[in-house]
Amino acid sequence: MSRAAPGLWVGSLRDLVKRMVGIAPLKQLVNWGRIYSLWPVHLMTACCGAELGAMMSGRYDPERYGMQAAVGAMRQSDLLIIEGTVTKKMLKRVKVVWEQMPNPKYCIAMGDCACSGGLFHDSYSIINELEKAIPIDVYVPGCPPRPEALLNAVIKLREKIRHEEVYARS
Amino acid sequence: MTAPAVPEEEIVSTLKGQLGNALKDARVERRGRISVIPLRETVREVAASLQRLGFDHAIAVAGVDYPNEKSIEVVYLVSSYSHDELKHIVLSLKVQVDRESPRLPTLTTIWESANLFEREAHEMFGVNFEGHPNLQKLLLQDNWEGPPPMRKDVTFPELA
Amino acid sequence: MRIMVRTDGDLIVEATPDIGYVHRGCEKIAESRNLIKNIPMLERPNIADSSHLNWSYIAPIEELQKVEVPERGRYIRTILCEINRIASHLYGMAIMAGIFSGHTTMYMFGFGDRELFLDLAEMLTGARMTFSFFPPGGVRRDLPRGFKEKLLDTLNYLERHLVAVDRIFVNNPVFIARARGVGILRKEDAIKLGVVGPVLRGSGVPCDVRKDAPYGAYDKVDFEIPTFKEGDSLSRWLVRFEEIKQSMAILRQAIRDIPEGPIARKSPIVVPKGEAIGRIESCRGEINHYVVGTGSDKPYRVKMNTGSFKNLPALPFLLKGARIGDMPIIYGSLDYWPVEADR
Repeated sequence: MSRAAPGLWVGSLRDLVKRMVGIAPLKQLVNWGRIYSLWPVHLMTACCGAELGAMMSGRYDPERYGMQAAVGAMRQSDLLIIEGTVTKKMLKRVKVVWEQMPNPKYCIAMGDCACSGGLFHDSYSIINELEKAIPIDVYVPGCPPRPEALLNAVIKLREKIRHEEVYARS
Repeated sequence: MTAPAVPEEEIVSTLKGQLGNALKDARVERRGRISVIPLRETVREVAASLQRLGFDHAIAVAGVDYPNEKSIEVVYLVSSYSHDELKHIVLSLKVQVDRESPRLPTLTTIWESANLFEREAHEMFGVNFEGHPNLQKLLLQDNWEGPPPMRKDVTFPELA
Repeated sequence: MRIMVRTDGDLIVEATPDIGYVHRGCEKIAESRNLIKNIPMLERPNIADSSHLNWSYIAPIEELQKVEVPERGRYIRTILCEINRIASHLYGMAIMAGIFSGHTTMYMFGFGDRELFLDLAEMLTGARMTFSFFPPGGVRRDLPRGFKEKLLDTLNYLERHLVAVDRIFVNNPVFIARARGVGILRKEDAIKLGVVGPVLRGSGVPCDVRKDAPYGAYDKVDFEIPTFKEGDSLSRWLVRFEEIKQSMAILRQAIRDIPEGPIARKSPIVVPKGEAIGRIESCRGEINHYVVGTGSDKPYRVKMNTGSFKNLPALPFLLKGARIGDMPIIYGSLDYWPVEADR
């Protein structure tokens, strides 16, 4: 057995798993697991954070969607909700959080400011085009968007995940 | 000692009596608003007198840029917590500094609450507060190299 | 914000806060926009009590324009501000006694009750948090039909529910052990640092702009300023708790005594030449707006100073000598709102 053989064995096992998971029932199972347990990171960027806080509370109840908010640590979450304006000073830290999250990870841009600059588009210290830094899956307009709008965004994200390939985000 | 009937008038006359020509002007704008304009060189003396009169904390420090008059006006707003008859008064201490090289002695030794406010005015207008313990960046991003953003001639046309 | 902490074992030797992560340049933008268009922008720094920011920006402009708000308009402004105060205090209490103490029960209690007040605000203004309800000269709309009954129902509910909060959280030995005696700010230090709001009143200084320099309808209603002399985190939390009860009393009196009449006076869209200062007691402390006008429709300079920015020096002062485990409680008791401090 050559020294390359263990690597080859692991590599061919990974290819086998990839091909198996491409089969429809297994793909549906994996995506079902991802959809029903989207855990958001606690990253309050700006004023839309107040509506995110309201969404996480009893009246709108995101736990029935599997969004358990109590964890909060970035290495154990898979959903980054960027609410509010991202300033140039904050951008580096948002990217650090994004890079620390394990794959597969999703991002929702909440609020007008995260989508396109919003009310502060002519300020000297904010980022207007966030999608150049972080790939965004769902945009939620509003200033601030109502909690129902944010839950609607989560539902649309689930639809998007349901139809995705399992290894699309590796 | 009973409280004076109109404390604003009393304060203005006391200041004029104590400081005389260290003041350019001191007047009562309306009930609860006094404005005091010292010379740039005497601002510490005037602030110390105000503190002795009972104004024990600064509530804001604003810079206003007047490019036509080639000056920046630094406005200290002060008030009082410990003297009941002064609680409703906001006194504005306005100092003009030269726009090309704005310098002013710091007033943090007199009003400690002015520490962060002066730091922000330095960052936004470029005013150098001599003697301030820590004049570093507060709000702007770490690698900001441009001019002080709140000056009137600093515009950001690419964002319009 | 980021707090850089140097420790000696478990004790904090020095703490330096690093702020500016939400600095959006509100003051610079305000110089280039019409004074009415500035209202939504200048009320965003503190979205949880936006009506106070709105009032503090509009009051100096009304002073320069020499426009006086009619009596009914002043009462409606007071009513909206007190609804906002209760909602914001529930938010602050929920965060400190809930998230920063390590559980989510108080968070759910506080936010659930807060939703009822946001419903009231929505009934009055149309928006949950960002009202933009005070143009110069008065208020935008009159009280809708059914508002008085809904307000009194909500207040009755909250009174009963606060008894439960008192039993579960205020008299809770775990919460008391975590917050009593933690982060003590003495009266002399509070005055020297220039702190404002519940932080000031939790240290024994009975100063509140609503009593010292009354505005709106505050000189016509009867209420007290809760002050505690211990100066620890529990006192600061209890100040907010008692202020909710005082706000409920103000609301009951205001809705009972509100006079008939116009709700607004016409005012020109111009900022006349001169300078004026606005002073309003918001939920986190006194906010000031210093407005300089030159006669155009855009203000020449708007300087805002908010309660959280004035309270910021208290954080490194209190953290020095505290334990690391006390850091969330001290931070939560100051009720620091980063967006308001950075503007």
